[in-house]
Amino acid sequence: MATQDAGTLEVVGATRRFGAVTALAGVDLTVRRGEMLTLLGPSGSGKTTLLKIVAGFETPDEGAVRVDGRDITMAPPAKRDIGMVFQNYALFPHMTVAENVAFPLLMRRIPRAERERRVQETLKLVDLPTHGGRLPRQLSGGQQQRVALARAVVFDPQLLLLDEPFGALDRQLREQMQLEVRRLQQRLELTALFVTHDQEEALVMSDRIAVMGQGQIAQLGTPEEIYRAPSSRFVAGFIGESNLYRARPLDDATAELEGGMRVPLPHKWPGGTGDLGLMLRPERVRSLGPDDAADIAFDGLIEEVVYLGETIKYRIRSDDGRLSVLARWPLHEANRILSSGHRVRVGWRSADMHSFPWS
Amino acid sequence: MSASATTPNELRAGALRRRWWRRHRDGFGSLAAAGPALLFLLVLYLIPMAMLLAQSFEGASLPHYQKALTDDLYLRVLFDTLLIAACVSLLCLVLAYPVAYALSILPSPWPAVGIAFILLPFWTSVLVRTYGWMVLLGRNGLINRMLSDLGVIETPLPLLNNMTGVLIGMTHVLLPYMVFPLYAVMRRMDPNLAQAARGLGASGWDVFRRIYLPLTLPGVLAGMTLVFVLSIGFFITPALLGGGKVHMMAVLIEQQVRMFLNWGFAGALSAVLLGATLLVYIVLRRLLRGNMQWS
Repeated sequence: MATQDAGTLEVVGATRRFGAVTALAGVDLTVRRGEMLTLLGPSGSGKTTLLKIVAGFETPDEGAVRVDGRDITMAPPAKRDIGMVFQNYALFPHMTVAENVAFPLLMRRIPRAERERRVQETLKLVDLPTHGGRLPRQLSGGQQQRVALARAVVFDPQLLLLDEPFGALDRQLREQMQLEVRRLQQRLELTALFVTHDQEEALVMSDRIAVMGQGQIAQLGTPEEIYRAPSSRFVAGFIGESNLYRARPLDDATAELEGGMRVPLPHKWPGGTGDLGLMLRPERVRSLGPDDAADIAFDGLIEEVVYLGETIKYRIRSDDGRLSVLARWPLHEANRILSSGHRVRVGWRSADMHSFPWS
Repeated sequence: MSASATTPNELRAGALRRRWWRRHRDGFGSLAAAGPALLFLLVLYLIPMAMLLAQSFEGASLPHYQKALTDDLYLRVLFDTLLIAACVSLLCLVLAYPVAYALSILPSPWPAVGIAFILLPFWTSVLVRTYGWMVLLGRNGLINRMLSDLGVIETPLPLLNNMTGVLIGMTHVLLPYMVFPLYAVMRRMDPNLAQAARGLGASGWDVFRRIYLPLTLPGVLAGMTLVFVLSIGFFITPALLGGGKVHMMAVLIEQQVRMFLNWGFAGALSAVLLGATLLVYIVLRRLLRGNMQWS
């Protein structure tokens, strides 16, 4: 399969309103060649609207969509050369697996011999070489998913769109399919736009993630950047678990948390812009010995215990009642399970926190 | 083998009996529930029909059947009946398909409104509706008068007392039987399928021909079967709108009974009609089953 013509996707100032509701408010986005970019956000964040605009099922009120510099904003879906995997696969129930996969080739008037060769090749690629004669309903959920994927890539599209494709699968299969889709996308060097509301899935699948909220991109970055350094409260709250504190800056290096505790800041704070938010990942909270020191340290009581198998989560409240923190620690022999009411001393380095403007 | 002790074989037989009963218990239950309806059909439909058919057999040479199946007139009428039924089915399909499609995609209150408009005439007596068409289609009927007032025509169109009138009237009466099976199938269609097809490069025509039509075919065949089978036995509408010029089997049978009191021949014609109906039903059923494989 040729990959040289895989495209760059550009969305410029895309805006879409439904009556009084603005679903998409001037979004700019570039997906690079061969990149898997994920649109991550809660329902109503505009991610599906953006995907539909790229696919051609919606027309933006303002803005443009370009593939390799070619403006396709007004092009009908059939003329866009985009492969799409739908939420519920949307396999044609009256066609066999092979007929489903051949459909985009048939629509492109590709001769029969060539068609059959490519269908067979693609079915092999998704590990279903002998299933061509079956009907979709005779396949398992994971197999149907693979057929949908084969149908979306068989015609060597410039762009692959995936709309929450793993929603209908159980957890184990979902994880397996995530890796398979990722592998296939990398192998074919396809430019891909992936929509999901599942943050774990986004972290696993993506080269870059665009976190969306209220019709805008709240943050765009690699999974690691988004997880480590969220740019706002919204992103911090949406990706992974976190302790979020509101703080008042005292100078460019210190701030006072809402309960009154003073903490050193992880980054130099420019100041003057009102309150700031401090985020701390639960796995960065450390258990301290009685005399250990840390940038931030306090004695407290375990209020709540959540057993998660490999790890355990504790909610700990400081003795003075000013601070409550969620800690997650790995469970191994040295770490026995503590029960609620147990006294602990915890702390963390200032650099383990991440700061951003509160508003 | 002693007489008093239960042998393993008897035990086994008992177990088998119980298993048999358990397996068929539900079947008997539904049979009992359907009892009154079955009894009703038996007494008022099956027995009279058997009596009519019994009268059609007269000796070993079956003269009535010979006449019904060899006489040009009767073969001609049988052919016309089937032809009219086929035309009505096709007309209904062509008219009902877009209506059902529109109903299936309209937003919330409108499908119910549309269905009410289809059901209202459906609940009106066929006789009343047929007389209504006579008023509309006659030489001096509403349609002809309007067309000549507008200067479109000079002489009235022959719309009544001929095949045109029969087809119009029958199509009107039978249209709901086509709309509802189609609507039922179309409403269950996954709208994503058409979207997926378009995304994969299909034109509007391709989406219709390769996705929408094949997936609604079960509804098409179900509706065609209903309309065709009902058309074959139609009586009132062809009798009134055909003006004695359009002959359908049911009209002929009624004539034999009412005018000639020839119960035997009427019975033979009924048997031929019934046979033809069953044949068509079986063929369409086959088609339907072959097509339904995927669902």
